[in-house]
Amino acid sequence: MAEQFREPVVEHIYTLNLGPQHPSTHGVLRVLLDLDGEFIVKADPIIGYGHRGHEKMAENRTYKQFMPNSSRMDYLSGLLYNHGFVLAVEKMAEVQVPERAKYIRVICSELNRISSHLLWFGTYVMDLGGFTPFLYAFDDRENILDILDRVSGSRLTYSYCRFGGVTRDIDEQFIDMTRAFVKRLRSRWSDYHNLVTKNVIFINRTRDVGVISADLARQFGIVGPNLRACGISFDVRKAEPYEVYDRFDFEIPTGANGDALDRYNVRLEEMEQSCRIIEQALDQLPAGAHINEAVPFKVRPPRGEVYFAFESARGLTAFYLVSDGSPYPYRCHIRVPSFGNLQVLTEVLRGMLVADAISILGSIDVVIPEIDR
Amino acid sequence: MAKREVVTQKLQAMLPEDAVCKDDSFKAGVVFSAQVPIGKLREAIKACDESEYYLESITALDFQDTFELVYHLNCYEAKSRIALRVLCGHDQAPATVSDIFPSALWQEREVHDFFAIRFTDSPDMRPLLMPEDADYYPLRKTFGTVHAYHKREKIYG
Amino acid sequence: MGSEMASDWIRIIVGLIIVLAFSQLNALFLVWLERKVAGHIQLRYGPMEVGPHGILQTIVDGIKLVGKELITPASADWKLFIIAPVLVFMPVLVAFLVLPFGENLIIRDMNIGVLLIFAFSTLSVLSILAGGWAANNKYALLGAIRSVAQNVAYEIPLLLTVLSVALMTQSLRFSEIVAAQGKVWFIFLQPVAGLIYLICATAETNRAPFDMPEAESELIAGFHTEYSGMRFGLFFLAEYTNMFIVSAVAVALFFGGWHGPFGFGLGIPDIVWFLLKVYVLLFVIMWVRWTFPRVRFDQLMNFCWKVMLPLSLLNLVVTAAVMKLL
Repeated sequence: MAEQFREPVVEHIYTLNLGPQHPSTHGVLRVLLDLDGEFIVKADPIIGYGHRGHEKMAENRTYKQFMPNSSRMDYLSGLLYNHGFVLAVEKMAEVQVPERAKYIRVICSELNRISSHLLWFGTYVMDLGGFTPFLYAFDDRENILDILDRVSGSRLTYSYCRFGGVTRDIDEQFIDMTRAFVKRLRSRWSDYHNLVTKNVIFINRTRDVGVISADLARQFGIVGPNLRACGISFDVRKAEPYEVYDRFDFEIPTGANGDALDRYNVRLEEMEQSCRIIEQALDQLPAGAHINEAVPFKVRPPRGEVYFAFESARGLTAFYLVSDGSPYPYRCHIRVPSFGNLQVLTEVLRGMLVADAISILGSIDVVIPEIDR
Repeated sequence: MAKREVVTQKLQAMLPEDAVCKDDSFKAGVVFSAQVPIGKLREAIKACDESEYYLESITALDFQDTFELVYHLNCYEAKSRIALRVLCGHDQAPATVSDIFPSALWQEREVHDFFAIRFTDSPDMRPLLMPEDADYYPLRKTFGTVHAYHKREKIYG
Repeated sequence: MGSEMASDWIRIIVGLIIVLAFSQLNALFLVWLERKVAGHIQLRYGPMEVGPHGILQTIVDGIKLVGKELITPASADWKLFIIAPVLVFMPVLVAFLVLPFGENLIIRDMNIGVLLIFAFSTLSVLSILAGGWAANNKYALLGAIRSVAQNVAYEIPLLLTVLSVALMTQSLRFSEIVAAQGKVWFIFLQPVAGLIYLICATAETNRAPFDMPEAESELIAGFHTEYSGMRFGLFFLAEYTNMFIVSAVAVALFFGGWHGPFGFGLGIPDIVWFLLKVYVLLFVIMWVRWTFPRVRFDQLMNFCWKVMLPLSLLNLVVTAAVMKLL
C-alpha cells in the first residue's frame, strides 16, 4: 500500500485526533494524525495522560511498600511485574527462596501471561469488528481469575509474591483447577482457529499490514512477541533464565514477515507454550515451605545496583534498582516493553489507511499505563 | 565470535583501561560496564550500533555532585547486556543519540522531563510524560519528599 | 365512480395507518431480536429484565431516548442537522406501499413496484450524507463519505441481479413475480443472483461485515456520532426498517413470496409464510453480523467493483441467453 502512496497535496491535509477517549486505543493514548483523505501522512503518539509518578513513589517507599505499585503499572501482567520486582530485590539482597515457592511463582506467572494474551485476543478481534470472540476469550479468562483469586485474593492486580516466596501456599484444589483449566483451554484452540484465524476477512485485515522489518525492530528497541514475529527468536526466559525456567522444555514461536498476522499467530502459540510450562511445573512441583521465614521485615539490600530483566506478556521488562543500603531504593527505573513498541508507530503508520492504523495498534498490544508509569 | 565480545573489544579500544569493568557472573544484570566520558558518548553508542546492539533504556541518577546517565544496551543473544555510564554535571548537556537509535528520542524526552537534562541537537524535546506547562522536574532530589541525597561515592564507592 | 374513488381513498388511508403501525412495531421487534441473537451467540442471555425475556426492553429504551436532551452542536448546520434523521426515515416508509404481503395484501400493486423501492432507497443515501456533513465533525464526515461510496457502488450489482429476475418474469410488478414462483422458487433457478443480492443488500443497509460507515471501534459512531435522543433513535429505526424492506424484497424475488414450499400452502395464510421467511432471512443477516469481523474499506470497494459487478453482469448475460434459447 505504501508504495502506491503519492505525495499528498498540502492543502488537502487535515488533522484528526485519535483519542484520548476512543474505543480502540487501549488506555489513554492520543495519536495525532495528519490525514490526506483516508491515508495517514504523519502519526504522532502523545502519551502522559496516565502519569502517576511510580518512579518517584518508589524512592519514598520501602521495597515491600512498593509491591502494590508494581502490579498497577501493567495491570494485565500484574503478577508478572510483581514476580519480576521481587526477583530483582532478591537478586540484590541475595535472598534464598525455597524450591516450592519458585515453582508456584512460575505457575502463577504463566497463568497471568495466558490471561493477558486472552484479553488481547478478544480486544484485537473486537477492534476489527468481530464482537463475539471477545466474550469467548473472557469466558476462558474467568477461570484463570478464579484460580488466582482463590490463592492471592485479587483478580487483576496482585501482590502475591513476597521476598523469599509467596504469601500463601497452594492446595490440592488449586492444582486440580489449574489442570482442568489447561485441558479446557487446549480444547478451545480449534474453536478460535475456526472462528478467527481461518476467516478470510480477518486474514485480509491482518496479512501484510504493519510490516516491521527486523532492522526497524532493532532500531526502535522492540521486544516481545512483536520482535519474535519479525523472525528474531529472543525471549528473556531462554536468554537470561531466572527462577526455574531452565528446567522446562518449551519453544519460542517466531513469525516470518513481521506483519499483524504473524504477531497474532505468535501470541496464540505462546499461550500454548505457557500451557506446556504450567503442566511441567505442576508435574515437578516439590513439597516444602512456601516462603523463606528468615527474610527480615524491612529488606536492606547492600549498596549497589541491579538491572533485572524478565519476560512480561508484552516483552522484555526490566527493573533497574539502585540501593544505598537503606530500606528505601535510591532509584527505581522500570524499562517497559510498550515504550519502544509504541514509538515504532511513527514509522509504521506512514502511508497506511485509518482502518489499518487500528489494526496495527491492536496487534502491537500496548498497555498505556505502563508507558506512563 | 559472540557479539558481546565484539562490542567489548571495540569499547575497550576507545576507552581508558580503568573505565571498563567486566562481570561474567552477570550479578548486576550486565556483562560489561564502562565509564564513558561525555565527549565520547556518541562514538561509543555508534560502536554498539555497528555490533548490532539495540538501546534498551536510558536513565539518570541524581547525586549531590553530579548526574549520572546510564545507557543499557542489549543484543539478541544470551546474557549480553552492557551498560555505558556517563558522568554529567548538573549544568552539562550531553549529545543526543536519537539519530543512531530512534528509540532514544522518547527515552531522552523522559529523562529531560524528570531531571531537566537537555540533550543537544535533539529534534524533539517536548515533554513526554509531564504536562506541557510543567516547570518542575520531579525525579530530582531537590523536589518533593526525598529520603536520601548522596554523593556518588557513597553508593558506588 | 364516486364509490370506487372513495374505496380507493379508504384503502390508501387504512393502508398507511397499517404501514406506519407495522413498521414501528417491526422495528421494535427487530431491535429486541438483534439483542437476543447477539446475546445468545456471545454466551449470554441478552435482555431478560423488562417483561418476559426482555420483550418490553425496546419500548423502554424508546421512552428513554425520547426523554433525552436533543443536543445540536454549536457549529453544526442546524437546518440540515434537524431534517437529516427525518429524511433518512421517509423513503423506507414509502417502500412498504408495494411489498407483497399476501395474494391480496398489497397496498398498491404498481407495475413498476420493484423500481419504486430501489429509487427510494437511493434517496436515503443523500440523507446520510446530509446528516454526516451537517454535524461538522471529522469522524461523522468520514463515516458519511464511506457510506455514500459504499451504497452507490453496491447498488449496481444489486440492480443487475434484480434485472435478471425481471428478465425471467418479463415484469417489474411484485404480484406477477411472486405468482410466477408458485412451483419453484427463483433461488433454485438463479442461485448466483440470489447470493449476490443478499451480499449487496447487507452492504446497502450498512450491516456488518460491511459496517465501515458506523465502525464503532474506529470512528466512534460514524455519521450519527453527534446525534442524541430521538434523532439517533430515528437513524436506528430507519436502519432496521431498511433491513426489513431489503429482506422482504429478497423473499418476494427469490424465495417465493407468500407461497409455501413447492406450492403447498398447508392451510397457513399467505402473510404468515411471507413474514416467516422474512424473519428467517433477518435472523441470518444478524447471525452474519455477530460472526465476522469488518471488511476494510478499500477491500470492500474492490470486492464490489472487481467481483460482484462482473459476476452479476455475467449472470444477466447468461439469463438473457437462456431465456432466448427457451
